[in-house]
Amino acid sequence: MGRFLAITRTAAIETMSQPLSAILFPVAMLAVHLLPALQYHRFGAPGRLARETGLSALFVFGLLFAVPAAARAIGRELETGTAAAALALGVSRPLYLSARIAGVLSVFALFFVGVFSATALSSFSCAKAAEIFTAEGVTRVWGPAFAVGVSGALMAFAGAAFLNRFMNRRFCMWTCLLATGLQLPGLALLESAEPVAAALPAFGALAAAGGVYVVMAGALATRLKDNGVAACVVAAVAAGFLSPVRCLVPDMRAFWLAEGDMSATMPIAAGLCLMALWLLVGCVSLERKELE
Amino acid sequence: MVETVIELKGVEKTFRDFWMRPLAQAVRGLDLEVRRGDVFGLIGPNGSGKSTTIKMVLGLIRPTRGTVRLFGLDPRAKAARTRLGYLPELSHLHPFLTAEETVLYYAGLSGMKRAAARARTAELLEELKLSHVRRRTVGGFSKGMARRVAIAAALVASPELLILDEPTSGLDPIGTREVKELVGRLAAGGMTVLLTSHQLFDVQDICNRVAVVSAGRQVGGGVVADIVAAARDKRHALEEYFEERLNAQKDEQ
Repeated sequence: MGRFLAITRTAAIETMSQPLSAILFPVAMLAVHLLPALQYHRFGAPGRLARETGLSALFVFGLLFAVPAAARAIGRELETGTAAAALALGVSRPLYLSARIAGVLSVFALFFVGVFSATALSSFSCAKAAEIFTAEGVTRVWGPAFAVGVSGALMAFAGAAFLNRFMNRRFCMWTCLLATGLQLPGLALLESAEPVAAALPAFGALAAAGGVYVVMAGALATRLKDNGVAACVVAAVAAGFLSPVRCLVPDMRAFWLAEGDMSATMPIAAGLCLMALWLLVGCVSLERKELE
Repeated sequence: MVETVIELKGVEKTFRDFWMRPLAQAVRGLDLEVRRGDVFGLIGPNGSGKSTTIKMVLGLIRPTRGTVRLFGLDPRAKAARTRLGYLPELSHLHPFLTAEETVLYYAGLSGMKRAAARARTAELLEELKLSHVRRRTVGGFSKGMARRVAIAAALVASPELLILDEPTSGLDPIGTREVKELVGRLAAGGMTVLLTSHQLFDVQDICNRVAVVSAGRQVGGGVVADIVAAARDKRHALEEYFEERLNAQKDEQ
């Protein structure tokens, strides 16, 4: 267990230390707050708009950082010999692969918490936005929840810069942690943000699908270069939307932009099964690979 | 009777392409024995099969033919591999970890307890003159400093067998001397060392036995003291012997 945790922790630190993660974490949170605010007057239904922006941000931004991170966490290690140094010490290959992928998944889970909290905050601020009728039309005044959400995302950079300058902490990693942490007040407002609470199953199902693509990327990286992995995952996502090969990729049509009352049990169970399947594929592939 | 730590018998390794067609025969019928307490040098020109041999000993690649035993066990057995430390040819460390975290990471992989790992890490960083940079991320280190961090990582679990692939690569003369002294101290403490190097002076200074490999075959070897005793130029004894064995192999071919 100690070995598993050591590898997982290192993979998580590496994932959060990538500049791409440090950019996408706050940008995703910011998008969750700003997009409903910008689009509100066009579509109405603010709760639903906030919720679906959150789902989109979770999926799009999540995959943008987690899939390359998973490919790098395995592929680059095998290529440079860092994996060989670990495996030479008696770490089994399946444990190594599982722990590296678990490290990336743990960061993806952190991202999930951040985006979900931001969505709750955004939904709350949409519901509480005041409408002022003027001669030129309706002007919407956003409340403190909106300010907390937006400034939280921006303050992540400032906070991380402060910690880096004065306490020598990792800038990128702390940007990710602060971007998530500063959205957590949203969880306290979950009761008030009714549409988001009801959408939790949809978030869970979409996160499970994202997890499948992350594990798939890690498994494929045992044999393919980064570009090859990215191409395969993009093809798999497209297959999930168009004509799903249900036994290999998640059926994205089942829950993409899902209604709030959907049941998540089956998609999450299917997602976990697919993760296990791809992990098995990766373990067999790595076990048979010669680390030249 | 002295325990055999590493034993290779009739080992061959052929690399194949995707279609299983042979690409290169890296090792051809290699026999090797490293006994407890040896500081064993595996020397040979580039592409002679040294690193492939080491990777077979580590269980990272499987021999096409022949047997490899590590502490009398299959090299893939966990019981065998937990007793060794390994320094790869290129020190690719995790660039986002600090020097201290890197060594602690390898301590964790070796199954050490947290407190013991911390104490051993501090001791090694001090010994390798890295204490002042222990909180810096290794991504910004010079090649020589990264090499020293990798050596600390290889030694953190106090292994019985230390495998060093080009240990002095990238080190300046002072760093090279310090590593040689360190290996000498480890050997004096009873640690078995298998190393490869192109620096034949260094090998002559620190090894008690050597094997010369060329094109995947062992073309010479023996006790370093005997090679030096038989040489005309004592300071360049191993270099002379190395050239002689390679020329002899060319003549045979």
